[in-house]
Amino acid sequence: MHSKLNSLLKSDVRLEEGLTACMNCGICTAICPAAEYFEYDPRSIAVTVQSGNEEEIATLLESDTIWYCGQCMSCKTRCPRNNCPGLIISVLRKVSQETGAFVQSRMGRQQYLIVKNIGMNILNYGYCVHPTILMPENHPEQGPVWKWVYENMGEVYASVGANLNGDGPGAMRKISGADLGELHRIFKESGGLKFYETIEHFSKIKALELGFVNENGEADMEKYTQHLLQEI
Amino acid sequence: MNRFLPDVLIHTTEMMKNKHVAVIGGGIAGMEAASVLARQGLKVTLVEKQKATGGKLNDWHHLFPDFSSPGVVVENLDKKTVRAGVNVVCHTEISHIERNNGRFELSDQRDVKIFADAVIVASGFHVFDATLKEEYGYGLFSNVITSVDFERRMKKHGKLLTLQGTEPRRVAIIHCVGSRDAKVGNIYCSKVCCITGIKQAIEINKMLPECEVFCFYMDLRLYGSKFDSLYLEAQKRHKIQFIRGRLSEAAERPDKSLQLKAEDTLQGRPLRMNVDLVILLVGMEPALSNSSLMRNNQMKPDENGFFRSVNMHEARNVGTQEGIFMAGTAICPMAVNETLENARSAALEVMNFLRTDKNHGGF
Ligand SMILES: Cc1cc2nc3c(=O)[nH]c(=O)nc-3n(C[C@H](O)[C@H](O)[C@H](O)COP(=O)(O)OP(=O)(O)OC[C@H]3O[C@@H](n4cnc5c(N)ncnc54)[C@H](O)[C@@H]3O)c2cc1C
Ligand code: SF4
Ligand code: SF4
Ligand code: SF4
Repeated sequence: MHSKLNSLLKSDVRLEEGLTACMNCGICTAICPAAEYFEYDPRSIAVTVQSGNEEEIATLLESDTIWYCGQCMSCKTRCPRNNCPGLIISVLRKVSQETGAFVQSRMGRQQYLIVKNIGMNILNYGYCVHPTILMPENHPEQGPVWKWVYENMGEVYASVGANLNGDGPGAMRKISGADLGELHRIFKESGGLKFYETIEHFSKIKALELGFVNENGEADMEKYTQHLLQEI
Repeated sequence: MNRFLPDVLIHTTEMMKNKHVAVIGGGIAGMEAASVLARQGLKVTLVEKQKATGGKLNDWHHLFPDFSSPGVVVENLDKKTVRAGVNVVCHTEISHIERNNGRFELSDQRDVKIFADAVIVASGFHVFDATLKEEYGYGLFSNVITSVDFERRMKKHGKLLTLQGTEPRRVAIIHCVGSRDAKVGNIYCSKVCCITGIKQAIEINKMLPECEVFCFYMDLRLYGSKFDSLYLEAQKRHKIQFIRGRLSEAAERPDKSLQLKAEDTLQGRPLRMNVDLVILLVGMEPALSNSSLMRNNQMKPDENGFFRSVNMHEARNVGTQEGIFMAGTAICPMAVNETLENARSAALEVMNFLRTDKNHGGF
């Protein structure tokens, strides 16, 4: 697998856009909001990818590091060589997902939760996040008021002029079956669905490895999900 | 006295006396080239757009690497040009060079016309406009100044104060401002700013021994024979601190001090620092009049916008239009000593050209 990493990275056009040649100046790290909070250094990521060192790249793909980036693209605005570390990260993430390296890190494993939530929401509802599925007990970040909003959803959304789950126009309206079908086809054609499958595939292997097995001898993804939530 | 000269050379010398060379730009490059040619017996006109000759050196306080006086350099060159009989024309900015029947016609925006058999373009360089690097706050924050401002202030007041009138306790010197930066369109190195920064850092320490001075650099490019020893001195005797990381942005705080964001790349860690004064080491760009000088003849810019030589190794001073030569920083960034050497070599190229100029009875 290792000998292929460089060509895998290079086959993504975003790398061409994101990395011409890094002069190791550190401007990106200085501007990066993620670097301020995490052990995270976009400059050294650019340098590692530039070096082509397969071993170091493999380590990156299996690390938490590549998941710290907030994809804000501030780095693009400042780089004196017109690189964009944010795009380099996007490519590393994709290769990590495609090769299964992501299950080796805590942050990487969260990909599974994201696919199961945001990923599936898009296909089922046409929204990344939809109020009807934001169970208060799973979303403490919404604050205590969320429980009340959740229970009185119809009135609350109507009072702010939204058209929750309704037909016709308006915020939070129901997305028609025809449109959902179209979204589904887009995900299929563009490889999005395949991508979901790949993440699920490697996550199942990891679940088995961690001993989350059901009575049929298959991966128990319920337990794996609980495990991931506790890992956070 | 001509006993030792072969006939051919006597003939040449006579012929050269009727040749006229126009030098555009009365900085040190133009002054040196003009005086060398005039001493060889040619008629030379030196055209300067400012009220006096000397170019940028008129603004500098001390020269690296020996802290000598730029005023003395200019004074000596002035004496040389006068003694050699150079015709100096000030207040005249040449905007056109045209070639007609092998001769050149130079003109300005008014109706000044100068005719010449050969031309030396010594139009120098333009200082990078630091307001273009908005994130550094030049022109927005009063305690962000440039290396040029530093020289001017030192020359005028002999001291360095913040805008509030206090002595700075911490100063940051920022390398590569407007150079090595694709975002401003200049990917080349301006070559003299690293050593300028070190010189200025030492001067600050000599003036204000309590003041901490930090240089934010990417690479220290100290190519001159005396430059590295100045770097050593800066560290050893003057306790200047060198941080390997390029400035990302400066923000003004309520007390008018500045917060800097960079990465200490040797530590691999983002760095925040507050300083009282920031000095931006601004780079050297092609002179503003270069594009109009290139029009109407076959002179061309190189990839950085300076004048293109026909061959960068063997004929650095020879322009892409026959009969037009270049001297000094019109070709690329260089220091004073290199500029003067370069100007002398330009003068030699002009002599060789006029001697062999077939159109004018040469051979
Ligand atoms: C901040 C700073 C500090 C420096 N400090 C040092 C130092 O300490 N030591 C050192 O060795 N070097 C130093 N240098 C480099 C030094 O300034 C240059 O080597 C020197 O100025 C080059 O001389 P020049 O004649 O080529 O150009 P310039 O000094 O730019 O002179 C060009 C002249 O041409 C005139 N001109 C331009 N266009 C026209 C036109 N169309 N018509 C008529 N006239 C025209 C201009 O008015 C100017 O007088 C420093 C540079 C910078 C930016
Ligand atoms: S895109 Fe990522 S690496 Fe770039 S500045 Fe934003 S968080 Fe940092
Ligand atoms: S800003 Fe650009 S050149 Fe500088 S370290 Fe980051 S990627 Fe490399
Ligand atoms: S001389 Fe130094 S400060 Fe100037 S552009 Fe080159 S590396 Fe940067």
